[in-house]
Amino acid sequence: MQSDETVLSLEAVTKRFGGLVVLDGIDLVVGPGELVGLIGPNGAGKSTLFNVMTAIYAPTRGKVRFKGKDITGAAPHHICRFGIARTFQLVRTFLTMTAFENVMVGAVYGSGGRVRHARDAAEAALELVGLSAKRNVTTAHMTLSDRRLLEIARAMASEPSLLLLDEPMAGLNPTEIRQMVEVIRRTRSEKGISILWVEHKVDAIMKVCSRVVVLDHGVKIADGTPVEIVANRKVIEAYLGEPAA
Amino acid sequence: MTAMANISWKWAAALLTVILALVPFWPGALDSYLFSFLFFVFIYAVMAQGWNLVAGFGGQISLGSHAFFGLGAYTTAILWSGNYLWGSLYETFPRIYYFDPVTMVLSGLVAALAAALIGLPLLSKLRGDYFALGTLGFGEILKVIFVNGGDFTGGAFGLVTPSSTFETLMPHYYVGLGLTVGTAVAIGWLMRSRYGLALIAVRDDEMAASANGINTLKVKVAAFAGSAFIAGIAGSLYSFYIFHVGPDSVFNLDWMLLPLMMTVVGGTGTVLGPILGAFIMYAVFDIARIFVPDYHPIISGLTIILAMLFLPKGLVRKILPMSLARN
Repeated sequence: MQSDETVLSLEAVTKRFGGLVVLDGIDLVVGPGELVGLIGPNGAGKSTLFNVMTAIYAPTRGKVRFKGKDITGAAPHHICRFGIARTFQLVRTFLTMTAFENVMVGAVYGSGGRVRHARDAAEAALELVGLSAKRNVTTAHMTLSDRRLLEIARAMASEPSLLLLDEPMAGLNPTEIRQMVEVIRRTRSEKGISILWVEHKVDAIMKVCSRVVVLDHGVKIADGTPVEIVANRKVIEAYLGEPAA
Repeated sequence: MTAMANISWKWAAALLTVILALVPFWPGALDSYLFSFLFFVFIYAVMAQGWNLVAGFGGQISLGSHAFFGLGAYTTAILWSGNYLWGSLYETFPRIYYFDPVTMVLSGLVAALAAALIGLPLLSKLRGDYFALGTLGFGEILKVIFVNGGDFTGGAFGLVTPSSTFETLMPHYYVGLGLTVGTAVAIGWLMRSRYGLALIAVRDDEMAASANGINTLKVKVAAFAGSAFIAGIAGSLYSFYIFHVGPDSVFNLDWMLLPLMMTVVGGTGTVLGPILGAFIMYAVFDIARIFVPDYHPIISGLTIILAMLFLPKGLVRKILPMSLARN
């Protein structure tokens, strides 16, 4: 594996909480410009894996590399400055700020010096997700869907090379889901960045992602194109249970 | 429209400042009750503004303001009574310590340094109520240390500075007014800066702030130290008024509780709230103390309960346009 060709690589990442093994030797690679979906049943370890990548947890064993550089155990606020931006499953926007101020935080603090003109970057990020008209709305008055889009804008304002999306569809209605899929597609095509996308809604992932990784009980059970994944016996078993003999 | 409102409120605040600056020229003002009343309002407004920085804007509820107020008061008294700063100049200029800006700034810096030292472990490990209790504990520890500080701190009695330097309350009044306006302008400017953006981000969601590249511990410790600096300067000003700095008076819990109540009544997380709260609440406390001395804690307490019931977000947010009240 050539490190300069990968954006993110996890090497044998294991995470234990006491006697409970939540992640067991996960290897995962995300290449430049790739849109990778990460799925798995409840309790598969998706969120824990996210938290290991963003240094909220330190892995018990294994390494996290970003563009070849070992970032295992870095301070959480350095992760974004390196170029890994994320959104949260339970939306975390700054509620007393306006939409624009939220995005400014990403542009000013998240970019680690990449962004020269924070205001321009913030405006562009709002434009990207279609929230320009709501730039002066206080976040507390925004809908869940808009807040999820705002989180993506805030992440994108730091001009990252990797975007981690943690269930961006959760709680959205079908219209909003279509809008979200459109934003994710546009983000990837316009900015050319890599995206790792954790999602419960498997159909959305299968439609949009070029590659899908499946976790079950902390183990990676499949890694391939959507066509390969839907035909994978282990995946079907993980989601539907073992077939009756 | 809000921009217009913004400008007119700024003019109103400037006009009020000018009127307050002219009060001492009113015949008989210097000997009036109103004059010393305003001086105390200023001290409390400065204390309230300091608490507001870390708790209102930063979301870190500190219960240790009295510790930093006391540290500032003691630093001034120690420097002065021990003549640690100006050496032989003190003999030539016997009033050199009285309202000496170097002494006042040092008093603020000692408090800020103490806040940084205690804030690093507290703010990296404790959140919410636990941080609040930690700061409360710090105040009590300091008090015990100063009681047992021997000749250096004057023990349980404290230190006395030369009260013969006192002529009028005029310098106290102007320094108090200057600090009230100065802290408000400084914090208003700070909250529009990049640092202010980070501080609000930490208050609103610490995890999201961290994920967006903000060093949350640094931001919180800076706010805590800045708040302590303001309290230390207020303590220094108070020591120029009282000339006797003792552990029971300057480490008194009132120096934490009253500014806290004033800020909450006026509006936490706003620049004008602490000032407005200090005016109103100090008036209530003082009027109750003068006219119904036996019942004054009841009246003061009742006012706070009523304020919390009807103005949970503070008075400022009720009377000012939203855009201005925020900053």
